Amino acid sequence: MSLLEVRGLTKRYERFTLDHVSFSLEPGRIMGFIGRNGAGKSTTMKTMLNLVHKDAGEVWINGRDFTKNETLCKGEIGFVMGEFDCYKKSTLKTITEVTKRFYPSWDEDAYRGYLKRFRLEEDKKVSELSAGMKVKYALALELSHNALLLILDEPTSGLDPVSRDDLLDVFRTVIEDRTRSILFSTHIISDLEKCADDITYIHGGKILATCDVESFRNAYLLVSGDREWLDALKPILVGYKPNAFGFTGLIRAENRDRVQGLKTAPADLESIMIYTEQEGEHEQTAL
Amino acid sequence: MSKLLYKEFRLCMQPLVLIFFLFVLMLLIPSYPYTIMGFFICNGLFYSFTQSIADNDTLFTLLLPVSKKDAVRGKLWFMLLVQLALVVLCVPLMFVNHAMFPEGNPAGVDATLSLLGGLFVLFSLFNASFLPKFYRNPTKNGRNFLISAVLCFAWIIVFDGVMIAANAAQEFVPAFSWIETHLDRYPTCVEEWLTQGIFLVVCIGIFAASSEWTFRRSVRAFDGADL
Repeated sequence: MSLLEVRGLTKRYERFTLDHVSFSLEPGRIMGFIGRNGAGKSTTMKTMLNLVHKDAGEVWINGRDFTKNETLCKGEIGFVMGEFDCYKKSTLKTITEVTKRFYPSWDEDAYRGYLKRFRLEEDKKVSELSAGMKVKYALALELSHNALLLILDEPTSGLDPVSRDDLLDVFRTVIEDRTRSILFSTHIISDLEKCADDITYIHGGKILATCDVESFRNAYLLVSGDREWLDALKPILVGYKPNAFGFTGLIRAENRDRVQGLKTAPADLESIMIYTEQEGEHEQTAL
Repeated sequence: MSKLLYKEFRLCMQPLVLIFFLFVLMLLIPSYPYTIMGFFICNGLFYSFTQSIADNDTLFTLLLPVSKKDAVRGKLWFMLLVQLALVVLCVPLMFVNHAMFPEGNPAGVDATLSLLGGLFVLFSLFNASFLPKFYRNPTKNGRNFLISAVLCFAWIIVFDGVMIAANAAQEFVPAFSWIETHLDRYPTCVEEWLTQGIFLVVCIGIFAASSEWTFRRSVRAFDGADL
């Protein structure tokens, strides 16, 4: 059974539509949720949690319909939206005291462990924390109530490389028992390369791909060659960039026969995203 | 509910609310429209809501295992408890007021059960006009407060105005005479206590009914709001 199942989630704004977003996440997996700014990552996450009123769709958490079991489902979810930006004049101690009352499964030892690991001082006020420390505090809170599903919106964006690496280790540890999962959005593709098992890629409010990282990578090839090849290959190029020696572009792996004689290489996540997002310059190819 | 109330009092209530509780001491002023202290406590609530917006309280609350409906219930009960606390604080000071100023209050209603009733109606108006609008757009509340403040002052003017008029013109208008003896001044007989008691119960009824209405309207407004 999937820990998270999103079916046909739709939210219509005047200038943007979250269009029938569907994906699922199995226990023991980390899913990277990627897309450009404004693609609909945060809107998807907020709509999933009823922070934004949905127009259509269903969200199932651990086999339960979120709409019908909101309180129960929220107890099994930890949601972090970037840095902790609440109650700036309150101390961490006070905020934790309030928060833990809502979670019967609160693990005080785990919380103390995260405070130590993240070097957080409970007597400090939120306003006294750096951006990175605010992210760490938000994570410490959500990791300490034994959430089955962690939904993290840009959790690593305010962190230095060492802290980011440490956090990715924490993520791997969290899912070790194969009962918990993490869905996290990020712009930092290297973070995904390090720890994501699955990828869900959203573009303009629509899901372009949702699969495991390996399949996602293998679905593409990077190709480079002389400019004389460019015109002939344009119809099959997802995106390309001309350079001094010719061009480099991205093709779907199923078209590999059509680029024989050209230099090809496995595609990395960042290249796939960059070339796919060349909207307006080249025709989009749905994944 | 107790967890949500704990959150409201620990993280949301501004010290200003406690300071505004001291305004109950206005009952020791010889001549004053005492109903206004109800507005001051609502002012304290407004500051708490404003700080809640700055503190992203609504988002924090909704990320807890709490439904939107419960989040509204928690906020409403916080308001009601603060307002009820003011009413309770008024009770002993009513007797002190009567001992100090037995001649009554020419600037408005006397410190009697009617004053408590007037406060309940004022709170009803404030809550019903403020909370649903707050939840329609949980990031802004300046204009909401302005509308609520106008309503509160309109009530204070009408309520205390009637009592002042009753006090001044009781000899000329029979209805004013009845209001002065049965509602405005400190009761002197069982009948007057009973009349004021009924007035208070009716006002509490209005407070209870309006609280239910406020809750339903706020839930509906919040349901359609996007954070």
